[in-house]
Amino acid sequence: MRSVGICGIGHTKFGEYPGSFLTMLCQAALEAMDDAGTSGGPHHVIDQILVSTMGAGILNHQSGVASAVADALALCPAMAETVENGPASGGSALKLGYMAIASGLCDCVLVVGGDQMTRVPGPVATDFVATMLHPEAEYRLGLTLPAFVGMFTRLLMDKNGITPRDLALLAVKNHANAMLNPLAQLHKPVALSDLMDKTETRRRDRIIADPLRLYDACPISDGAAAAVLCAMDRTQALGLRTPVRIAGIASATDTHVVANRADPTRLDAVRISAQHAYQMAGLHPADVDVAELHDAFLILELAESEEAGLFPRGTSHLALRRGETAIGGRLPINPSGGLKAKGHPLGATGISQVVELVHQLRGEAGERQVPGARTGLAINFGGFGNNVVSTLVTTRKEDA
Amino acid sequence: MALFAYRCRNCGLFTFPLPCLCRSCGGREFEAVPLSSRCRLITWTRLFALPSGYKKPWRSFGIAEFENGLRVTGVLDCKNPMVGMELHAVRGIVRTHPDARSETGFIFQAENGPGLLP
Ligand SMILES: [Zn+2]
Repeated sequence: MRSVGICGIGHTKFGEYPGSFLTMLCQAALEAMDDAGTSGGPHHVIDQILVSTMGAGILNHQSGVASAVADALALCPAMAETVENGPASGGSALKLGYMAIASGLCDCVLVVGGDQMTRVPGPVATDFVATMLHPEAEYRLGLTLPAFVGMFTRLLMDKNGITPRDLALLAVKNHANAMLNPLAQLHKPVALSDLMDKTETRRRDRIIADPLRLYDACPISDGAAAAVLCAMDRTQALGLRTPVRIAGIASATDTHVVANRADPTRLDAVRISAQHAYQMAGLHPADVDVAELHDAFLILELAESEEAGLFPRGTSHLALRRGETAIGGRLPINPSGGLKAKGHPLGATGISQVVELVHQLRGEAGERQVPGARTGLAINFGGFGNNVVSTLVTTRKEDA
Repeated sequence: MALFAYRCRNCGLFTFPLPCLCRSCGGREFEAVPLSSRCRLITWTRLFALPSGYKKPWRSFGIAEFENGLRVTGVLDCKNPMVGMELHAVRGIVRTHPDARSETGFIFQAENGPGLLP
């Protein structure tokens, strides 16, 4: 297989996007193309466009989005497909871009993902996200993603001794990180005392799926993120910027019906996809300098960090308490602010995570820079853990 | 409404809903079999952020395990849920849509009778 790198990245500010869905995708894509050094036009070098979105059809009443992007960016006759894999759509588009280049079919692939979720009422957005549950065994009953996370949280807190204060510590950390990220949705620091106060703030921090509270969950977001992928041995010939190498990328599935899992506190697809990514990269969890994990609900940051081998089982909340996952700690997690505070426009998220890692590995993350970061891990979590993409990017030499 | 699940004709695995293929043995033939109502609560939540179409403030859900090992998700109708508690399952209307269509599914109740299903 040919080695594949990321030459360019783009990212809109997450939150409410004022323009159209297509404009938003194109803004991120153009930024990534400019960053890569391929400005488009008649002599562009892009062979393939992959657009990741979960909600284009349901929320924007739009299909065939990749064709629209190809034309809007004047990239025709490049190949173009839309990728839908729930909240892991972005990670999947990156993986398919990797496959296209590694196979030799393409030299250069533009991957762009996004969703616009803020224009529909909250319950409609909740229902849209719930459509990824099993239609007969789950969705029909009125179950939602937060319901499954609530049931998972109850068991994991009890099993590992995770406290409400630990979840509050995660919120404090990720909100603080987002303060350093100009493209994050929430620029609002939260203090531990605010979240642990049983009175006024607690009433605002209402329960959404017992024991989950509002501050345990990510906001509803619009946003897009993009990356230009290229064969490592073709970047110079195509005049592209020095790439950050994708050392490993893998995905795994788990039962669609959550109740069918033998251990309801395990996230097997996270563990297996991460293991496959490490194997492919010839790297180990100890090699990871920075991680962007899918904290759509804060408990998932802890659970994923253990499944991915970054901490022994049942100990990630102890590392959190010691400050090890803060910027400046031993293994910073979600320096971008994570989904919790950066925002979670579903189709953008998997790409957004890798965009942050590329910033970190280039050493251009400003105040949120993890010093000396050489290898980053992203976990993009779809469904309730039924489809997960793990990606390792690195600036290490290939043989190292 | 009678309580039922599916059983693999080859290996006997109980499952719900009806699969295409048995995850244990690869078998493709299943039969609907009656299910004893006794079950145990594995985990639960009370959901306040309900999807569109609900007029209720909240609803509880749980995953329960039957004596034959089958686990299913259902509506929890019980005042003080506790992980591990004994429940009995019935099949009933779990959701009514604004256009009056309704959905049936598992409802888990405490041994001493139903709670406060809103
Ligand atoms: Zn079988």
